[in-house]
Amino acid sequence: MNRLAIPFLLLIILLGLVLSLDESRPPADLVIASENEVFTLDPQRMSYLADMRLAYALYEGLLRWNIEDFTLEPGVAENWSIEDGGRRLVFDLRTDARWSDGSPVTANDFTWSWMRLLLPDTAADYSNLFFSIKGADEFWDWRTTQLENFTADPWSAANPNARSDQTVSMLNRMAALGSDADLPEGIGFDPDSDLLSIERDGLLAAVDQGDEQALVVALENSSHHRRIWDALNERESRKAESEWMWLQTEDQFRRLVGLKSVNDHQLIVELDTPVPYFPDLLAFAPASPVHRPTVEGWTLDESDRAMIVNSGWGSITPPPFESRRNISISPETGRLVQSHRWARPGTLVGNGPYTLDEWRYKRDMHLSRSETHHDGAGTGFDSIEIRSIPDPNTAVLAFMKGDVDWLTGVGADCRVEMLEQRRRYDEMHGKSHQHEKSMPDPVDGQRNDIHAIPVFGTDFFSFNCRALLPDGRANPFADPAVRRAFALATDKQTIVDNVTRLGEPIASTLVPRDSIPGYQSPSGLGFDPDRAKLELASAGWIDRDGDGVPENPKGTPFPDVEVLYTTGSPRFSRMAVELRDQWQRHLGIPVVLLGQDTKFFKEDLRKGNFMIARGRWYGDYGDPTTFLELCRSTDGNNDRGFSDPAVDAALDAAMLETDPEMRMRNLAELERRLFNEDLPLIPICQLVDVTMYDPTEMTGVTHHPRLTHYLWKLRPVAEVDR
Amino acid sequence: MKRLLLRRLLQLPLILLAIYTLTFTLTWLIPGSPLEKAEARQPPPEVMAAMQAQYNLDDPWDFYWDYLGSATGISWMLGERDGPVFDLGPSLRHENWSVNEILAAQLPISMALGLMAILIACLIGIVSGTLAAVKPGSWLDLFSLMVALIGISLPAFVTGTALLMIGGLWLDLFPVSGWGRPVHIVLPALALSLPFAAYISRLVRVGMLEQMASDHVRLLRSLGLSERTILLRHALRNAFLPVLSYLGPATAAAMTGSFVVERVFAVPGVGNHFVEAVLGKDITLIMGVVLVYSVLLVLFNLAVDLLYGWIDPRIRLA
Repeated sequence: MNRLAIPFLLLIILLGLVLSLDESRPPADLVIASENEVFTLDPQRMSYLADMRLAYALYEGLLRWNIEDFTLEPGVAENWSIEDGGRRLVFDLRTDARWSDGSPVTANDFTWSWMRLLLPDTAADYSNLFFSIKGADEFWDWRTTQLENFTADPWSAANPNARSDQTVSMLNRMAALGSDADLPEGIGFDPDSDLLSIERDGLLAAVDQGDEQALVVALENSSHHRRIWDALNERESRKAESEWMWLQTEDQFRRLVGLKSVNDHQLIVELDTPVPYFPDLLAFAPASPVHRPTVEGWTLDESDRAMIVNSGWGSITPPPFESRRNISISPETGRLVQSHRWARPGTLVGNGPYTLDEWRYKRDMHLSRSETHHDGAGTGFDSIEIRSIPDPNTAVLAFMKGDVDWLTGVGADCRVEMLEQRRRYDEMHGKSHQHEKSMPDPVDGQRNDIHAIPVFGTDFFSFNCRALLPDGRANPFADPAVRRAFALATDKQTIVDNVTRLGEPIASTLVPRDSIPGYQSPSGLGFDPDRAKLELASAGWIDRDGDGVPENPKGTPFPDVEVLYTTGSPRFSRMAVELRDQWQRHLGIPVVLLGQDTKFFKEDLRKGNFMIARGRWYGDYGDPTTFLELCRSTDGNNDRGFSDPAVDAALDAAMLETDPEMRMRNLAELERRLFNEDLPLIPICQLVDVTMYDPTEMTGVTHHPRLTHYLWKLRPVAEVDR
Repeated sequence: MKRLLLRRLLQLPLILLAIYTLTFTLTWLIPGSPLEKAEARQPPPEVMAAMQAQYNLDDPWDFYWDYLGSATGISWMLGERDGPVFDLGPSLRHENWSVNEILAAQLPISMALGLMAILIACLIGIVSGTLAAVKPGSWLDLFSLMVALIGISLPAFVTGTALLMIGGLWLDLFPVSGWGRPVHIVLPALALSLPFAAYISRLVRVGMLEQMASDHVRLLRSLGLSERTILLRHALRNAFLPVLSYLGPATAAAMTGSFVVERVFAVPGVGNHFVEAVLGKDITLIMGVVLVYSVLLVLFNLAVDLLYGWIDPRIRLA
């Protein structure tokens, strides 16, 4: 019997050991549940909403939004002025802005961070949003070309001085080698060629005589210079060359790009064209400043450190590349390789209202109020925990239990029923209450802690607008009349009421309604099956043989329409099934459904291998172009292959229009044209974010469609009353 | 015994190489690129290409050998690389983390959960199996059969959610999510243990019934030993041997196969994220997890073989 107990004892000992390794933290004042893990805390690399929510807590940009109406408020910039007809922006930075290590936030921080943003090496998703800064796209292209040339031929960008320095060091090595026999293999002197043999003779003679100068001359004249060079010392020389290229890049940035720090606290931004929404971009997470010594991982001595804390890193000379732990220059590609390990607790230095205490991968993240932020009192909760709960049902249970105070992106199926309970509550009490302590308690069958907020995104179905399908067949959807027919035969209200069931506002245009001040979307095409039939007929598709399926004048029936959707969530398969029924019913066209895993789906989409495919787009900044650019023929996200020079021209013209009202009118006209006539896609509905929090406990969650959450705006209701 | 140990340890690298090659091939065949972000903007193609090159994603052959070298510690031994001996690379989907860090943080959690589940399973299984065998056909036997059936046939996301609602919400005894305090482990371990408990219960019952009818037990009875002594000291010991041989793979499975349970209870273990890694084609993370699990699996089976011979000298494997 004793021996039998041994395995269990072993198990228990192992268990105890394992458990003792783990440490738990005291509970935070506010617990937020998150379904998705944060991708990165490096603001320039961000593209997910969950990441940006943290960027707004950990960093502070020049400007920030008033999240109730999305007008701009001062951030690090105390005040700003727009000069030269909108082409020049001058920012005065507040003098009490501090990084979490105590050092001042200066204009250098912004120019350096934006250089990072505008550098192809960073692979920032949002670089091109900032191409309206003067010279920014020129700089991007310059660096891209420089890197391409370097990969193709490392010497094309050659730095003559650096090379001859290196040549000398290489020659020293060659001289040390002494004789022909000791030359490394693969140098490849060709004895058949006279020229080369002369070179070789001269070289060997020089080596024999130990005459370095003659050797230099012989080698510099040699057409094999590079190959000898490469064979001897390729890596070293490439390294030197790529580092030199980097210095050139920094230089080029200063020369080309219209960013100037006048002094530590004044920054001037020059634009190519007077982009009216440019200040809005400066409140956007990727424009946040990052702390250069942290990002590059400078190794510094005490006096340098003291200097930085007193007057910012601009006051000292950056250490050589070898003493920057987080970056290196790749000798293979010449690119700047950045490690993102700095964006973690212990090393991350930010300038926002919160600091990062802990981040455990896919487990939790702890923030606490920053001691160095200039607006310390403006912060609501002392400490915030963001807990990773991957299962949507568990997240709802955790909220009901009270383990979690705020749940965003509620994905559990029961949200439909819970929203129904909310509707009953609103019916009884009116919708005016958003977050008030006086909100009446819900009775049985009602609840007031779930909220469906329409957001800055649209669900749609894309047409393949190319003339031919990938298999070579003619594409019926190349004809806008056919696309209009399908849009007119789509009953969106039914989809929203019976399929998606979150109370989404239906959409007939791409830009969500009432999301951008001063912009009014046109009405778009509604549901009209009779007109749909007429449109189809005008394109030549008429049911000629009475089988219910329309044929073209040659008698070929309309091909089976393939609808491509992703299988990750039942939402899209249900939408596709409903669309199939509607189109078959109203147009008589047979529809085939193709469900694909996201990976395959994306590949098909990119290759244009679809007829109709589901799509979704979230806007990034407060201007209609954030949606409408999707229809530009050259846009990287134009999966539809839609191409219309007039649309491109209208988008270009909107960039140059200086009168804001006129501009909005022109854009509305463009959108009308796109969604009443061209229809590259069928908008279905505006997206909603379903979120759960008790409005009698917490306040500060915005219900504005731009869907930007400032964690430091959240406050316990009890405190607000006091 | 020594030969067994030696043979198994020699087999280990070969097994790992085979698993590595197979996993690598399958993972590489997943379409798309791990650097691509779903539902987000795409970086320009030239930037994508450069990133692919940076992570060796443009050449499967290079990737295969490079990763093999760093994961097995060979390139460290050759002095080609600094850093950890066994370097499983950076996570391709979560650029702030290395696979080593992810495993170091999450493997202990999955292990603790699995071990706890096995302990609970043994407790439930042995008690209910023994009780069932004392009076075959009685209501106790039927009850134990019912528990076993539920444990085996109900999937973990049903039992897990039910446990959450009962233990977390209605009884208000346990937290619904999170990790770190001992109370956090109870519900997920219980949910994870059910299928194992069911199996063990059946094994014990059959073994006990066989033992109670054996000549050995008849002799003990004739010697006048109490039924209780016979049951606990003699019959159970022999009936337990099949359970022990089941425990090796079961422990390994409990420690590695808790995807659903980890997800339902928001336990920050490896299983939960492994599936996401596969969906996102996070090659380095997939390979790292598979390699580490393979080593664990082989070692656990070896440990059971050794224990087995030690407990019952008759079947010492030579």
